[in-house]
Amino acid sequence: MRQLSITGLHKAFGAHPVLTGVDLDVPAGAFTAILGPSGSGKTTLLRLLAGFEQADAGTITIGDRVVDGPGAAYVPPERRHIGYVPQEGALFPHLTVAANVGFGLHGKERRGRTDELLESVGLAGLGSRYPHQLSGGQQQRVALARALAIKPDLVLLDEPFASLDAHMRASVRADVQHICLSAGTTAILVTHDQDEALSMADRVAVLRDGRIVQYAAPQDLYMRPADPALARFVGDANLIDGLLVGAGGPADGWQAHADTADGPREHSGQVVDTVLGRLIIAPSSRAVGPAGGAVTVLVRPEQLEITERELASAGGRQPGCLPGRVVACEYYGHDAVVRVRPDDAAAGQTVIVRTSGGPQLSPGSAVFVRARGPVVAWDR
Amino acid sequence: MVSPASAAEARPASLAALEVVPARQARRPVGLLTAGSIIAALLAVPLAFLLLESAHAGVGTVADEIFRPLTGMLLWNTVRLTAVVTVLCAVIGTGTAWLVERTDLPGRRFWAVLLIVPLAIPDFVVAFGWFSLSTWVSNFRGAVLIMTLAVYPLVYLPVAASLRAADPGQEEVARSLGVSRLRAFFRITLGQAKGAILGGCLLVTLVLLAEYGAFEMIGYQTFTTEIFTDLGLPTGVPTACGLSLLLVVISLVVLAGEASLGGRGRVSRSGPMAQRVAPPLRLGRGTVPALLGVGLLVLLALGVPVGECIFLIVQGGPPAITNSVSVSMLDAAWHTAAYGVCAAAVDTMLALPVAVLAIRHTGAARHFLERSTYLVLAMPGVVIALALTYFTEQDLRGFGYESTPLLIICYAIMFFPLALVGVKAAIARAPASLDDVARSLGHSRLAAFSRVTLRLAAPGLMAAFCLVFLSVITELTATLVLVPTGVQTLATQFWNYQSSGSNSQAAPFALVMIAVAALPSIVLGRFFNRTARAQG
Repeated sequence: MRQLSITGLHKAFGAHPVLTGVDLDVPAGAFTAILGPSGSGKTTLLRLLAGFEQADAGTITIGDRVVDGPGAAYVPPERRHIGYVPQEGALFPHLTVAANVGFGLHGKERRGRTDELLESVGLAGLGSRYPHQLSGGQQQRVALARALAIKPDLVLLDEPFASLDAHMRASVRADVQHICLSAGTTAILVTHDQDEALSMADRVAVLRDGRIVQYAAPQDLYMRPADPALARFVGDANLIDGLLVGAGGPADGWQAHADTADGPREHSGQVVDTVLGRLIIAPSSRAVGPAGGAVTVLVRPEQLEITERELASAGGRQPGCLPGRVVACEYYGHDAVVRVRPDDAAAGQTVIVRTSGGPQLSPGSAVFVRARGPVVAWDR
Repeated sequence: MVSPASAAEARPASLAALEVVPARQARRPVGLLTAGSIIAALLAVPLAFLLLESAHAGVGTVADEIFRPLTGMLLWNTVRLTAVVTVLCAVIGTGTAWLVERTDLPGRRFWAVLLIVPLAIPDFVVAFGWFSLSTWVSNFRGAVLIMTLAVYPLVYLPVAASLRAADPGQEEVARSLGVSRLRAFFRITLGQAKGAILGGCLLVTLVLLAEYGAFEMIGYQTFTTEIFTDLGLPTGVPTACGLSLLLVVISLVVLAGEASLGGRGRVSRSGPMAQRVAPPLRLGRGTVPALLGVGLLVLLALGVPVGECIFLIVQGGPPAITNSVSVSMLDAAWHTAAYGVCAAAVDTMLALPVAVLAIRHTGAARHFLERSTYLVLAMPGVVIALALTYFTEQDLRGFGYESTPLLIICYAIMFFPLALVGVKAAIARAPASLDDVARSLGHSRLAAFSRVTLRLAAPGLMAAFCLVFLSVITELTATLVLVPTGVQTLATQFWNYQSSGSNSQAAPFALVMIAVAALPSIVLGRFFNRTARAQG
């Protein structure tokens, strides 16, 4: 069942177009993220959904009710029944926590439901406090409880975690996700943080230049982005040149690591030649050209494996191994990101490798880099 | 009485971050724009009638009145006084603000209150106190002394607020970059307060251009005193119009000058809202001179006028007291308070739609409305009163002249810019996103505004109210022109006694005026104190 349906949504401020034809369907009960860089129009989209702005063209349907569209009366925010959690919570500073939560409720309902809601967000007993007496995470949970109080058809979260400390963000994210799930609410999260979108949402819609460029499950978005720019936007990416070989050729990386490959097993049968050897192209790729066609290939840093050259087998260079030297190593504890410059200048720019554990590599070390798993490729 | 510039700063940085999309609304705010246009039209009435009246008198006649030797003398008197007093006020106001806010001057909180109390003393009472003490205080030197003591708080107040709000870390950074303490003060501290200083100086200049009572008392001739005199003459209309036009042009030049000097400067603070309090600078051996200086200032500005009033009452003996503390004083106090409350209520309500447009909406209409209020700043009270007088005399055949509503309208026009400053600061404290949340929770636009924005803005609205109330109570010039026949306010009754030489009978009225005005000025001081803190 669809809970929210957006078709052909346009919005301009003066001569400046912000949204240029947004289409989006969100199923009931889903947690959807709208991911976009700043200036992509995501806040405008959210404000259109909430009714703070009126669309220039297009239709917004919530449940079975058209709230904005041609011919239909524009429904003002107070009659949309949408929960709105703005940045930094925006709690009413002159009201207690309980009064904040009960702001959208009336009379008898207010008393009973406020306690229940506070308990559901883990803040039972804090009803008499004022917002400034709460931590950032607590404020965020009060804002969510306030939005859920009216039993909304849809909850809109506008970058709600941006102002929180890094160590607090993860736990508040998990709390919010849990609260929305257990309330059975359809939620839409707007964010510019791809980690947040990928880790929290069932599906992620990427907004760029006023349009949705891809709407997919997080794994699909990460492994099969619609274009190279998107690949970069949702995570670190090595974008390398390749030449299509045609179906059936033997693949170096794939063959060597078939057992440990973390990508899907099926493949399109197409193979591409790159500086990282011969790689298999994932079936959903947009590269459909004939053999010999030039393509751009996406290899994620965690699809690359790094070995020190001294420790490599005595047989010397294996097929598909790119020799290079470490330029820099960023150590994160749980993993490390190593930048390797190929020895052969013709092999292109530095590649990024993500390693988990293993020895610490110092700059200057001679290494081999090898790819695993199917890759995505686009015609150039 | 704060500068428009410092009010613009009064928006908490943390709240500004809430608005990613700069305040835009679903549809054009038709209702607000309509209300705003009506208000702008009302504010434009005085200037329009001044121009009409001048045209009526004939361009040639008015030009003749302007181009004569007297004008040159008035211009010289006005310009030299304005220049000297503005510079003195800038130095004294900034210096005392810095001492109170940034150093370990003993008794800082005590001085902070005493330094703003002169705001509650009308300029003509300061003049009265000094002039009855010694006639040495007359002409140019007297005008400089009296006006400096009377109006320096107009610089002190915004500069103190801005120093309190500014990030002390910037000075430390400057010191760490090898800049000496003195240079850091000039380059950083004064830089931070520049907007506030300029804003304060602007107000000082405008007050000087509009002042009547104090100059009349000590016999110093300026445009305003001359306009006032001409107003009483049967053939004075063209002269009054010509001089008024010239005065408006001078005020506009001053406003433009302030704007071009970067008077719109803001205090910027990056980062989260946790305000670090700078360790106060240790005065060391400078403590005693600083204390003496501040003490002397308070003595001259506050002690002399109040002390002289008390002395006059004591000297006059029981008859003076029984004479004044009578029905006439109660009556005058009642009328003064009633006018003050009415004008303050009208202005606070009129300022609301304009402030909401200015803070929450963008667009050309909004700029036009805001600018149009500046026109009023350039109109001294006597000019507004004069325009309204001609309006009722010529166009309404005297209907409404010297009526209570006309006086209230005159006050409302005169003090609208002051109310707007306060109301804008108040609305800025309530981010628009809170209204959005309230609407998403099922409240209509109006309900959301009254339950959220108005509640949050209440202290600021109260401050705006006090600002207008205070100004009405101490207003003399326009009141003398427009006060209804048979009615006396504290200011006009004081003026009558004083003009007839009954100083001991005038003094009690001056004291009551100070007492009535002191309360709102303390409320104001507290409000700006808190605004500055919330901003940090």
